Amino acid sequence: MLLNFERLGAWKWILLVITGLTAAFLILPIVFIAALSFGSSQWLIFPPPSWTLQWYKAFLADPRWLEAAWTSFRIAAVVTVLSVLIGLVASFGLVRGRFIGKEALRALFLTPMILPVVVLAVALYAFFLRIGLNGTTTGFVIAHLVVALPFSILSMTNALEGFDKSIEDAAVLCGAHPLEAKIRVTLPAISHGLFSAAVFSFLTSWDEVVLAIFMASPTLQTLPVKIWTTLRQDLTPVIAAASTLLVIVTIALMLLAALVRKGLKS
Amino acid sequence: MATLTDPGGIAGTVKPRIVRQYNFAQTVPALALILLFFVLPVLALLLRSVLEPQPGFGNYAALLGSTTYLKIFLNTFVVSALVTAVSLAIGFPVAWALAIMPSRLSSVVFAILLLSMWTNLLTRTYAWMVLLQRTGVINKTLMGLGLIDQPLPLVNNLVGVTIGMTYIMLPFIILPLYGVIRRIDPAILQAAALCGATRFQALTRILIPLAAPGMVSGALMVFVMSLGYFVTPALLGGTANMMLAELIAQFVQSLVNWGMGGAAALILLVVTLTLYAVQLRLFGPARMGGH
Repeated sequence: MLLNFERLGAWKWILLVITGLTAAFLILPIVFIAALSFGSSQWLIFPPPSWTLQWYKAFLADPRWLEAAWTSFRIAAVVTVLSVLIGLVASFGLVRGRFIGKEALRALFLTPMILPVVVLAVALYAFFLRIGLNGTTTGFVIAHLVVALPFSILSMTNALEGFDKSIEDAAVLCGAHPLEAKIRVTLPAISHGLFSAAVFSFLTSWDEVVLAIFMASPTLQTLPVKIWTTLRQDLTPVIAAASTLLVIVTIALMLLAALVRKGLKS
Repeated sequence: MATLTDPGGIAGTVKPRIVRQYNFAQTVPALALILLFFVLPVLALLLRSVLEPQPGFGNYAALLGSTTYLKIFLNTFVVSALVTAVSLAIGFPVAWALAIMPSRLSSVVFAILLLSMWTNLLTRTYAWMVLLQRTGVINKTLMGLGLIDQPLPLVNNLVGVTIGMTYIMLPFIILPLYGVIRRIDPAILQAAALCGATRFQALTRILIPLAAPGMVSGALMVFVMSLGYFVTPALLGGTANMMLAELIAQFVQSLVNWGMGGAAALILLVVTLTLYAVQLRLFGPARMGGH
């Protein structure tokens, strides 16, 4: 009755209205910002008096915005590679290893996910001040790696647990070097885990704000830090343009992920 | 043994070689990273709370003895509780609808949920800053409809923070709750109907109790995440309703008071980890994340 959509009666419409309103609540702000990024009003009046590309031009003409975007990309790319590599090796140890304290170790690796980011940000800031990593690319990469690694380990241990190890053993018994068996048999089989580890790691770094605010210096900042500092001054439509570009990157990554998932299934 | 299952003794000679490759050593790079750049800095920060400016619990006494700071603790709890309650009230019917509606409808809602979750946190907060400002669309519309004469103060206050944070937390409650409702056997509700239960009775006596573990688990997760939130409260909240994460940042960035910053961080950490332990105890491992 309550779990049969067709037999809900009037309640069906109540549920549909609430769901529709919630979906609108979730999507409209994003649509609205995209619309305003093409509007001519400096004060973000809606509907805009006329349409323009001037905010995109302003974004692309300002070397500080472009540099911030490039910094974000560079850091996210390095974080992705390191997070997948370190995470992959650790996942093999965590899934197949036999040693005391394995479960405790797994829990420790996931703790950065539940710890409030602001605590880690402040702690790393103090530590980096001491060892001279503040405001450096290395500092950024380390900070983002700490929060990206748990996602990597989570998706790859899941994938490895679902892989039947006897297939790899068979390759070794047939004469393959253990490492070759791993690269040519196991890695392709867990590629979906590798892929989601990479996407999660990239997005974690690319979108991260709190650690970045503490790691940044006037000469080195990521796109979220640039948006943050600009936002604290005013709500300029250039941020709407930058935000819309970010949303486009997000949608592209979502579509890519969906396509890869489909491709891997078939 | 080996001769029984494996007459040639192949496994006896090869197996140990395979097994021995997987050991503790492989986790060392990750462990080194976590120890050096996570455990050590956090412990060092917490230590400073009892060492600076002089050894003792002076920082904690100052934090817990001042009405200014107590107000911030209280406000952090109030905002988190409010966000959790609103998210749950909206999230339950949506998760319920998603669990039973035709898949072509629900896939559209899922796409929207994912897009919203994956959109940059600052973008989403910025959108609400623009929408809720004095001359923003919401005030304009309400005034246009003649419902209000003066623009409502919707930003830099509790209303703004609650709207902005609920917006971010909703997917975190809808998705797990959807999973829980999906697993409920519809036959139980059919049985209730056959036994003469009204829709309302079936809802309050069967569906809600069966979904309750998911609700509690989702609510705990949203509450814990909200407690440590920094960006959205800093941008949408006012100075009058500062939250704990902002206080920690302020101690460190503006006041350069590491002792107090460390003490406030420890309090946030203890509350977060305690609630997380409760969650683990009640429901087993769950995915969490926060900003």
